[in-house]
Amino acid sequence: MCCISSFYVFVTWSQIFTKPPCAFILFAYFFKIFFYFSGVGCNSVEKKIYVHLNYTFPCVRLLNATHQIGCQSSLSGNVGVLHELESEENLDWVLTSGPNPPYMVILESRLFTRSIMMKLKEGSGRVAGVVVVAPNINPPEGFSPHTACPNDNSGVYTENYDPTLAHCNATVWNPLGNGLAYEEFDFPIFSVKDDNDTRVIRQCYQDHNRRVNGSNPQFPLCAMQLRSSMSAVTNTATCKRRNDINFSLTPDRVCDELGDFNIWASSRPMNTTTKGHKEFESVVIAAARMDSRSFFFDIAPGAESTASGIVTLLAAAHALRRATQEAPPNRTILYTFFQGETFDYIGSSRMVYDMENNQFPLDLDNIHSVLEVSQVYILIYLGLWLHSDPVSRKNSSVKEEVEKLVNGLKSASAGLNVSVDEPDVSQPLPPSSFQRFLLARPIPGVVIGNYRSSFTNRYYESMYDNAEYLNVSYPENMTSEEQLEHFPETVKTLTEVATLVARALYVQAGGNETQLANITADPQIVNQMLYSFLVRANNSWLQQLVPTDFTNHLADRPTNFYVGVIQYFSEPTTLVQYMLANMTGSVVNVTQEDCQKQREDKDDDQSKHLYTYMWVQGAAPPNSTEREGFCVRSTVHRSIAVSPAFELHEYTTSNYSTWTESVWKPITGRIFLVASHDLEMLTLGVGITVLLTSLVLTYVISSKADILFSSGREPTSATY
Amino acid sequence: MNLERLPNEEKLGLCRKYYLIGFAFLPFLWLVNVVWFFQEAFIKPAYSEQLQIKSYVKRSALGLLVWVTVLTTWITIFQRFRAEWGEVGDYISFTIPLGTP
Repeated sequence: MCCISSFYVFVTWSQIFTKPPCAFILFAYFFKIFFYFSGVGCNSVEKKIYVHLNYTFPCVRLLNATHQIGCQSSLSGNVGVLHELESEENLDWVLTSGPNPPYMVILESRLFTRSIMMKLKEGSGRVAGVVVVAPNINPPEGFSPHTACPNDNSGVYTENYDPTLAHCNATVWNPLGNGLAYEEFDFPIFSVKDDNDTRVIRQCYQDHNRRVNGSNPQFPLCAMQLRSSMSAVTNTATCKRRNDINFSLTPDRVCDELGDFNIWASSRPMNTTTKGHKEFESVVIAAARMDSRSFFFDIAPGAESTASGIVTLLAAAHALRRATQEAPPNRTILYTFFQGETFDYIGSSRMVYDMENNQFPLDLDNIHSVLEVSQVYILIYLGLWLHSDPVSRKNSSVKEEVEKLVNGLKSASAGLNVSVDEPDVSQPLPPSSFQRFLLARPIPGVVIGNYRSSFTNRYYESMYDNAEYLNVSYPENMTSEEQLEHFPETVKTLTEVATLVARALYVQAGGNETQLANITADPQIVNQMLYSFLVRANNSWLQQLVPTDFTNHLADRPTNFYVGVIQYFSEPTTLVQYMLANMTGSVVNVTQEDCQKQREDKDDDQSKHLYTYMWVQGAAPPNSTEREGFCVRSTVHRSIAVSPAFELHEYTTSNYSTWTESVWKPITGRIFLVASHDLEMLTLGVGITVLLTSLVLTYVISSKADILFSSGREPTSATY
Repeated sequence: MNLERLPNEEKLGLCRKYYLIGFAFLPFLWLVNVVWFFQEAFIKPAYSEQLQIKSYVKRSALGLLVWVTVLTTWITIFQRFRAEWGEVGDYISFTIPLGTP
């Protein structure tokens, strides 16, 4: 097809420059018509010049109240000659000695370190961009692009609260954190998977750019263009202001706030239409966070940092369903999943704000205590740690409740293969949603995690915090169905932890201890959930639990836990919503129409205040292909998780999260060969010379036309 | 319109009209006036209306010069300091280039 279209171009031009015979013109027009109708659009020249990169993950621009982080290219993309970095000493070529700057630096993931990246940032005049080749095996030495003290400025430990505990003075939670994900780069940084794309890039580099015997590589050289042009700049206040200026010809949005929804469910129905304080209601909040991030935009596997907590709490909620229905404890258990916690506690700060302003069905007075499930992936024989706040424990009533909660957890672990212990009494809480509740008032609570004074997670908030790290792996030859039945070792320990959490919650809510033996988490459920979050959401188990129109959203890859902007649903939010409904709710015999209208039957207008009804597609019976849907009645609700700063229009506040994400032009990457600068200039020079010569020549010819074209013939006018 | 074919009185009227309308914040009209009547005012052999045309062309040129100076100064200041002015800078901008402070 491509050669035909070049032929067509040739034909059209030949019409202009020559006088082709009639038949030829007809032939050409025939082709023209043919191409109009067949709709063939073949950009052959472009295809011959460029090789496009298909699977790239960019780093994008995020902004908060005071500054910007992330990466950005120029409007049309940054172009640089490829250079593969072999070691840190090799940087010299890129930063000073190489003859063809700017360079597009290819990094093995082991070289994606703070020291190299900061040197590249300093010498950014000679650096066009960076490509990080993501390995198929996690780096054994650990890697965390997050800060060493996560959410340092938004937690409860400020100078006013206790100066000795502020800014991780007492203990550094994420010692491997190098803070790269919070740096600003003015060149694009992309990640590519180690597959076909990478092979093409490497081949191009080997063929054209490698130095042979110490001599400089000869033109043409292999170059790469990376384009990730960001619209927002400076800080959130600036970009929000520019969003609101509708004066210009093209009112473009430049940034959007990060946020999504929190998911919560209560162990007994609660009227959600009336907001504010509920009389005689006392709740135990069981919390987990729902989001994670990494250096790159759409990879946030968050296996240990996020999924382990979600799965444990969901499994605990499932284990508690029977006991809370048959022998309800005095207090209500509120399962809450907070979204956007990575970015200065968006979800929890909003829920606390809503409780304070009577926008939530409960208020802070209704909260009895909090049990938060942090990172809880453990290997056998390693224990869990129960963290509490030393400052609020100075209050005797809080201290008493915390001790009760700790003792509850300790006694719950009695029959299980999990040991629990407390860290030093003076140690502060790790980064947790619970801190936002403490910021409002001293509430007793415990954060349960697999670390004592610093995270055991070696890949906190990085792209390596994945299924492989949690040892959630399945034999190669298994089908998806078989994998759902196969339990990795992790499932067993997480099931134990879920049982522990469930029993402790039941005791904390005032339940009867004789029931405890009946409360055990189901390893099958744990496995199915782990598989859905860490391997693929699109599996036969989860398909049964979601409505038909949602099946298209189930992905064939690990869940991306990045919270994203408010306009888009975050993947884990909806998954958790449907899972929680299934874990805590019950199947009711209601028609599809009534179910979708949130009622039990035609005359029922009360149930919608207490319950949420979801029509899910269910499974197909063995001898049929038609799925049999059913109605799930649960107490699962969404509550908005957008920082109060945006509600209050306070974009420079330090009290709440102010994170926004820039809007961007299409993100692309491509490689091609470039000629030397001299050759480019020569071509341009020749072109301009030809143009000028032709202008002069035309002028001369037209001014001397009467002499040049008279050619001895008699002037025609003279004959008359 | 060919200026050559016009009687001198009409030339003068035209030149005056351009000069006067130019006061309605239309410096380009003054530019047109200067370019168009330059030959009439300074090069052509003298005629009775030429003196007045000459004065209108001069004044138009002066007005144009003032405009050019003022605009150049303002544009230079604006481009140099827009980012530093922050909020004010954004509000007095018609289009804000994306991705720059």
